[in-house]
Amino acid sequence: MSRDTKTIIVTGAGGVGKTTISAAMAVRMAGPNRRTVVMTVDPARRLADALDLHALSNEPTPVPDVTGLWASTLDASASWEGVVHRYSDPEVADRLLKNHYFRAIADRFPAAQAFAATETMSTMIESGQWDAIVVDTPPSAGGLDFFLAPSQTADLVGGKLLHWLTGAQLPGRRFLYRFTGRPILKIADTILGGPLLEDVAEFLLDLRTMYDRLAARAATIQLHQQRATTVVVTTADPAPMTEVLRFFEELTEVEVEPSAVLLNRALPAAWADAARSPIRDIPDAEVRAVLKANLVRWGGESRRQASSMEGIAGRYGLPLLTVPWMAEPPMAVENLALLLNEVTGLDDLL
Amino acid sequence: MLDRRLLFVSGKGGVGKSAVAAALGIVAARRGKRVLAISMTDPVGLAAHFGVPDLTYDPLQIRPGLYAALVDRSRALDEYLGLQLHVVRSLPTRQLSNALSVLADTAPGIREIVTMGKPIFEVWREEWDLVIVDAPALGQLQSYLAAPQTITGLVPTGAVQEQAERLESTLSDPAVSGLLLVTIPEELAILETREAIAQMDAQRQILIAGVVANRVLEPLGISAKAIEEVPDGPPRAAGVLHSRLVAAQSDWLESIPDDPRLPFLFGFHTPAEVAERLAEICEAFA
Repeated sequence: MSRDTKTIIVTGAGGVGKTTISAAMAVRMAGPNRRTVVMTVDPARRLADALDLHALSNEPTPVPDVTGLWASTLDASASWEGVVHRYSDPEVADRLLKNHYFRAIADRFPAAQAFAATETMSTMIESGQWDAIVVDTPPSAGGLDFFLAPSQTADLVGGKLLHWLTGAQLPGRRFLYRFTGRPILKIADTILGGPLLEDVAEFLLDLRTMYDRLAARAATIQLHQQRATTVVVTTADPAPMTEVLRFFEELTEVEVEPSAVLLNRALPAAWADAARSPIRDIPDAEVRAVLKANLVRWGGESRRQASSMEGIAGRYGLPLLTVPWMAEPPMAVENLALLLNEVTGLDDLL
Repeated sequence: MLDRRLLFVSGKGGVGKSAVAAALGIVAARRGKRVLAISMTDPVGLAAHFGVPDLTYDPLQIRPGLYAALVDRSRALDEYLGLQLHVVRSLPTRQLSNALSVLADTAPGIREIVTMGKPIFEVWREEWDLVIVDAPALGQLQSYLAAPQTITGLVPTGAVQEQAERLESTLSDPAVSGLLLVTIPEELAILETREAIAQMDAQRQILIAGVVANRVLEPLGISAKAIEEVPDGPPRAAGVLHSRLVAAQSDWLESIPDDPRLPFLFGFHTPAEVAERLAEICEAFA
């Protein structure tokens, strides 16, 4: 490794603004002396345009008008191809990549996209080309998949099914013939109406040959994750708040300690008190009444936000960062930096 | 919307699909229906909106007439093999299902058909007037809806194939099944919803029963100019935020069908309170 890379993992439930926050952090971190890359997952069209991202690619491209900033959009399928090439023998890799179950698994295994993201992140860290990496995580299982994916993937490739069926630790190809003769498989084929199980078993046998190398890789990825700065993004809406509480409980199980909680769409704390005071400086009675009623509603939200967030940040002893609620999330690159301008405590993390 | 026997509720993550699914369950039960609300893959959302810590495979009574459950893939697979495929009892089904439950996690179409199968079996059982499904988010929904066809393509004959065809026909019968899409008036959610509508129209696996926009803000009823002329301070700032959000929302709302809209709820603390309030609002139109 030619340099010490600062890695920020931005996680949280779906729909809370992770991608925009990640991009904004990266804009803030990048500079002539700090080569920074932001790895996005499924950015909104306007944000993708602003970052000049037009297709899925794990290869970072420079962001126009921001010195030192590159961006990429996760291509899970390409990440998996890379994994297969790197961790299996060439002959096996060819067979795997031609197998239609391989695509199906890469597309549908819930942790597959998350594993692709962790693998791509680790490759970037190890390349030694970056001073800073900001990782936007795929929105599954409230963000937890990103941390569980390395071990889950190793388990899958480890071949629980094969192990159970063959009883062998490292079944070779010759086992397949014995194995297809087993009565259990005949029954399965009768029910399933075809040699589906046999096909899948052959595929899993191939995958199994990657296990040792992939398990070692998974352990390395977990180290990268534990060394990174993890920021949990949430809004104060009841559903994401419930999810985030559960997320925190589960994070401790994977030995990841978040560095901060970031409340997106935060409302000014002053609105809560202001909503209780009479308005004197608006002469028009109708305008005054409407704005008073409106402030009472938003002030109540502000109070609710504060009490929910104090609960989380207090319980876990974490710094709480707040990003103000904006009517239209900023999409132009220069506005992205503004989004985080008034966020106190942020620069200590970055 | 509640006249069908099987209603799937989906949407982009974070738009409130579990809240809407829970609210519709509450409404239907209040109208005297016997309702099962079932979550396909998310162990948290539906439970939170019913105010219970967890759901299980066995339906839990939430209130009179309303039950809730969670699809547990290995239990669903046992049921699929035992009840639906009539695997003869003398076969080593325990062993078989151990092996197959790992297969169910890996083979294309199997995991999805087992998960999709559960709510449909519940409809076939005729124990419920309505089965409401908290379905996977839009990104994953398509592979679940396509599961019966995937299986039919992979397995040319046999009990699994017959079963898949039967699932497919229940799903595509507009008198029985429908899909409700939940969205919010923001860029990503609306674009994903429009893509889903186009895809469902093309693939015809299930009829779209409606598109509900959630968290819609009411206009304040005074002009933006009147708000901006007010002196600086919280009343003005809150007014400006609100009216800008309304303007942004109304642009996005124009591009989806003019179906029922659910308001942004101010001051609610828990998912269960949100579902209860949405149920009161849904009474009016569902």
